Amino acid sequence: MSKILELRNVNKIYGTEIKNQVLYDINLSFEEGSFNSIIGQSGSGKSTLLNIIGTLDKATSGDVYIEGRDIKKMSINQLADYRNKTIGFVFQFHYLLPEFTALENVLMPYRIQNGKVSKEIVRKAEEIMNLVGLEKVKNNMATKMSGGQQQRTAIARALINNPRIILADEPTGNLDSDSTETIYELLRNINEEYKTTFLIITHDRRIAEKADRIVEIKDGKINLDIKK
Amino acid sequence: MKLGFRIALRFLKSNKGQTLLIILGIAIGVSVQIFIGSLIQGLQKGLIDKTIGTSSQITISSQDGNLNTKDYEEFIEVIRKEDREMEAISVALDNAALMDYKENSQSLLVRGFELNVADGIYDIFDRIVEGTYPKNDNEIILGIDLKEEYDMALQEEVTINTAEQKVHSFKVVGFFDFKVSSLNTGWGITTLQTAQNIFATGDVISSIELQLKEDSVFLADEIAENIKKDINREDIKIVNWKEQNESLLSGLQGQSISSYMIQVFVMISVVLGIASVLAITVIQKSKQIGILKAMGIRNVSSSYIFLFEGLILGFFGAILGIVLGLGLSFAFTKFALNPDGTPVIDLYINYSFIMISGIIALLASAFAAMIPAAKSSRLNPIDIIRNN
Repeated sequence: MSKILELRNVNKIYGTEIKNQVLYDINLSFEEGSFNSIIGQSGSGKSTLLNIIGTLDKATSGDVYIEGRDIKKMSINQLADYRNKTIGFVFQFHYLLPEFTALENVLMPYRIQNGKVSKEIVRKAEEIMNLVGLEKVKNNMATKMSGGQQQRTAIARALINNPRIILADEPTGNLDSDSTETIYELLRNINEEYKTTFLIITHDRRIAEKADRIVEIKDGKINLDIKK
Repeated sequence: MKLGFRIALRFLKSNKGQTLLIILGIAIGVSVQIFIGSLIQGLQKGLIDKTIGTSSQITISSQDGNLNTKDYEEFIEVIRKEDREMEAISVALDNAALMDYKENSQSLLVRGFELNVADGIYDIFDRIVEGTYPKNDNEIILGIDLKEEYDMALQEEVTINTAEQKVHSFKVVGFFDFKVSSLNTGWGITTLQTAQNIFATGDVISSIELQLKEDSVFLADEIAENIKKDINREDIKIVNWKEQNESLLSGLQGQSISSYMIQVFVMISVVLGIASVLAITVIQKSKQIGILKAMGIRNVSSSYIFLFEGLILGFFGAILGIVLGLGLSFAFTKFALNPDGTPVIDLYINYSFIMISGIIALLASAFAAMIPAAKSSRLNPIDIIRNN
């Protein structure tokens, strides 16, 4: 399988006067269609790593290649388009737009890309929402849903543009264990069905163990890298 | 862009109270602008109507005495060829005389007009409050003030003594009221024919009087200068209302300037108001902007959101402001009344001024939205994602 993601000697230092190095010479690559988990204590740098891969943050030094392209050489607009088409984000906090309904939130990445929404895409959004069990609340405002429903809406939103990579930062961080289980089942199914590459940050070891590969980050360095 | 508009609309709808408050703020600014602007324009128009609206605005006369037929017909020809059309062109023969009525004597400026034409300048027919206008020889109309002073009545005889010691008997056929006491006591109006007869001048006049169209009243000096150039004669004197009424003119200009100042400051406060509120909305919505950017919205599109917010607010603010401003103006003419029940200031609705005020408010709103738009464009999504 080909490498969809590659990090070479990635360092991240915050601050200019008081320097705080978060990542030290990270070298990592991920294969297309793989289901990876990243674990580590809070403050270990795993979220920073995910944000750099997602092009939300910039590495202080080192290179990030996505689908073989060096993201340093991409313009701001190219990066925005790349985030829109290639990556689906699921954050620990759902980050839905409270002014819009669940369905509208799911359709938002598509709207950003295409402006108009066709009937087919609405149907597709509804299918995805059915898949994650949101058929009853799809027209609720984002704020009028339970935490689990909001998080599932965020997952549906991440899927709408058929991204090749899904980056999830503790997607079940504030959910109960039953919902957590359901959501992981869901992600795993999507991985198998669409061959979407998953990078999931979690500190739930039970969940991490279900992944194809576990990467542990400790103090900004790779401490463990287990492939099954 | 469409997405920007959609999101802007949704943001505004989701916070109805705040949106209404901003719209109201803009509307009040616009309404004050329209109210003050209309008021001052109405005031100026009223003032111009009252002072120079019924008098000669450009007067052409000879330095030494009268103009003969050949001359004045030529001049009128020249005036008609001017770029700007005249409201009225009238000729007058003016002579000083002494009027005797019973035991009283009164100095009088006897003005001979072609009344149908002179009406275009002086509104003579409307000014006659009693009786009729002079149609036949030796008929005269006098001011209402003379009537009251000497207790005169219609159809009575008065005698006019000319400077050449000739005495003519006149019949008073009417009384006029020009609302100016010096005219109401000092003028006697008769036909041009009669004036030419009694002063034995033959076919001459003393002046050509012009009234300008309303939109060129303030160009009187330029027009007068053009006429002077075209007539091109040293012995001809041309005066315009602007040089005769310098204090009125400076008063009007002062009023205009103060009106512009008020309007500019109202506009500045509206712009600052919108800009500050929108600046706060960017902060309120920074999380949403961060999310949208993480999802791949481009910086330009994210700045459109606030630009559209500004435009939407400006649009509704302007419309509401125009309605309020007109309402305020109408109310003013209904409540601010003279003792006789007429409005203190006549309402003057200048549609183009109102349109321009509305458009300025719209542009000001868009301009005020630039800062938040730029801010939104610069917002980095990682700051939002990391700081939650």
